Amino acid sequence: MESFTNETIDTTRLPRFEEVQFTKLHPFYWKVLLINLSITLIIVGVLVGVACYNIEELIGLQMQVSIAYVVLALLVFYFSYLGFKRKAYAFREHDVLYRHGVIASTTIVIPYNRVQHVALHEGIVSRFFGLAEIEIFTAGGNSSDISIPGIEKLQAEDIKQLLMGKIQKQL
Amino acid sequence: MVTDFSQPQRQSPIGVLVMFFDTIRIYARALWPILLVWIFKFKELNTIYLVAGIVAIFTIIAFIAYLRYRNFTFFLDVENQEFILTEGIFNKTRTSIQLNKIQQVNIKQSLIQKIISVYAVDVDTAGSNKQEVGIKAVSHEVALELKARLLESDTAVNDTAESQLEQSFSAEKQEHPFVKVGFLSLIKVGLTSNYVKSFLLLLAFFFSTYENLRHVIDDTAINEQQIDDYFAGKMFLEIIPLIVLGLFIVILIMNVGRMIFVYFNFSVTRQNGSLLLSYGLLNTKSTIIKPERVQITTITRNYFQKKLDILQIKIRQATSGEKQEKNSAIEIPGCSAYERDEILKLIFQQLPEKGVMLRPDFRKLGFAVFLTIVLPLLGFYAIKYYSGTGNSSIDYFVPIYVAVLSLLQYFKYRNYRLFIHNDFIIKQNGAWDISNEIIKPGKIQAITTSQLFWHKSLNIGSLTLHTAGGDIQFQLGDFEKIRGYVNLWLYEMEVSDSNWM
Repeated sequence: MESFTNETIDTTRLPRFEEVQFTKLHPFYWKVLLINLSITLIIVGVLVGVACYNIEELIGLQMQVSIAYVVLALLVFYFSYLGFKRKAYAFREHDVLYRHGVIASTTIVIPYNRVQHVALHEGIVSRFFGLAEIEIFTAGGNSSDISIPGIEKLQAEDIKQLLMGKIQKQL
Repeated sequence: MVTDFSQPQRQSPIGVLVMFFDTIRIYARALWPILLVWIFKFKELNTIYLVAGIVAIFTIIAFIAYLRYRNFTFFLDVENQEFILTEGIFNKTRTSIQLNKIQQVNIKQSLIQKIISVYAVDVDTAGSNKQEVGIKAVSHEVALELKARLLESDTAVNDTAESQLEQSFSAEKQEHPFVKVGFLSLIKVGLTSNYVKSFLLLLAFFFSTYENLRHVIDDTAINEQQIDDYFAGKMFLEIIPLIVLGLFIVILIMNVGRMIFVYFNFSVTRQNGSLLLSYGLLNTKSTIIKPERVQITTITRNYFQKKLDILQIKIRQATSGEKQEKNSAIEIPGCSAYERDEILKLIFQQLPEKGVMLRPDFRKLGFAVFLTIVLPLLGFYAIKYYSGTGNSSIDYFVPIYVAVLSLLQYFKYRNYRLFIHNDFIIKQNGAWDISNEIIKPGKIQAITTSQLFWHKSLNIGSLTLHTAGGDIQFQLGDFEKIRGYVNLWLYEMEVSDSNWM
């Protein structure tokens, strides 16, 4: 009780979340994305190709369909590259920040004392590159859970330990 | 009169009647498609068979109800300090509740119970949201005595002065509900709200029954050609207002009916600092609201309701349970402004205040107009142009559509506000039904800020506050101010371990 004070807070001097230095995702993660996307696009491409040779209405349009598909694929690659570039995260003393989004730049902030649990997720391609994904869950439901991909496995383990420690301390 | 609860007991004999209606309700819910077919095939059926069938069904239901009554017993096991209920005809269920686990005992009456003057006793245990156990029909004396016995053992077991005090406090308070929504208020609410919801329900019901009926009686009755001819014969413009008027009346009747059916005899009582709501015409429901679990409180009122001094309160609680429960809101229909203040005081310990006001940018209006007026019109004219055909009378509806939607969007924009106070964040929204969503900053779980890249130079952006009871979003406000408040809220959340649940 003796140390209790209740001074007015100078709101202009509060730490500003918009000025935080964000960490970009690991460069390898772009390769992971590239491989995953290529696999999906190849599978879809094969299906479209089969359709083009077998459905009568499409046989005359083979050229147009393939051009459209290539353009679409390039666009998908371009936007995922932009998306990859925009994704960034930061761990502050009391909260975690995650920024993403190409058209709309979105930043979500979760204080550690609102985190319910943390999970580590490794995709098959990600594991090959030694990367992992951290998933952070809150009580706010799907819209306020975040998953940060493209973090080095060892570092991700450390972050998970850090978060678990912070949660433990709150309880 | 002292009743001996230590021996297994049945309910009041007249309780068979309650069981009867309860059984009808259960079976009607399961068998309504068959009932529907019967109703539509009414003329074709042999009257004798029909009467015989109905009599047979009622006899069977009565028999089942009687068996259910015979097999339902309850008694107090004094030795083990347990309250034991057995029920079921073929599948016997035996429920035993430790007396010291009983949180509260509620005595209630639905309409049927009121008519035959019996009471329902609901036992609420710790650790669950729904009533686990209920006795459907006992006389008032038995109900009161049972309640006393159940709670008396409770205080005897955890023999602390505090709990005794609380018990007596709750017992005293329980008899006086501090909000009672009367029959008239329910009619008022039914007449002034939920038009759109009822319309959609009606539409869904219409289409589903239409589909079902088509399968059942495709050879008889409804002849589509006849209907089409009928409509074509009349002037299109003449028939529309009639349909609208008819729909409106049906919707009003449905609304009033639904309000009375669901919320009949709505009362709010204070119990140990939480709110106990009970309502319902045929089956009384009751829910408990714990103030510390309340996440979002929404107060809704439209112009008519303002004049009639009624409003609706919707409360979203944090539930640790299943997903589907998470978004179930508790509604209190038809409060007066005074009752609203009482409820809010109980939830928040003080009346929420509207603080600093944030307005959306005018682009919010522009975008809404584009989405709801410009795009549909473009689509409409495109279809009209390419299809070549077109009933010119539809053109008359274009200006009406534009006028109505412009008005709606304008009011929606004008009411779209975020009020930020030290202890409360209030979001105001809605064109006709104006709702105020109230949260405390401490209930926030996470904060999202978002900005479209072409809005960067304009310095406007959106804010989403995530709580355990849902999200609150405010779009296109002054981004500098929003970020300032986000920093403040984060600071407040991080320095204190406020209890959000």
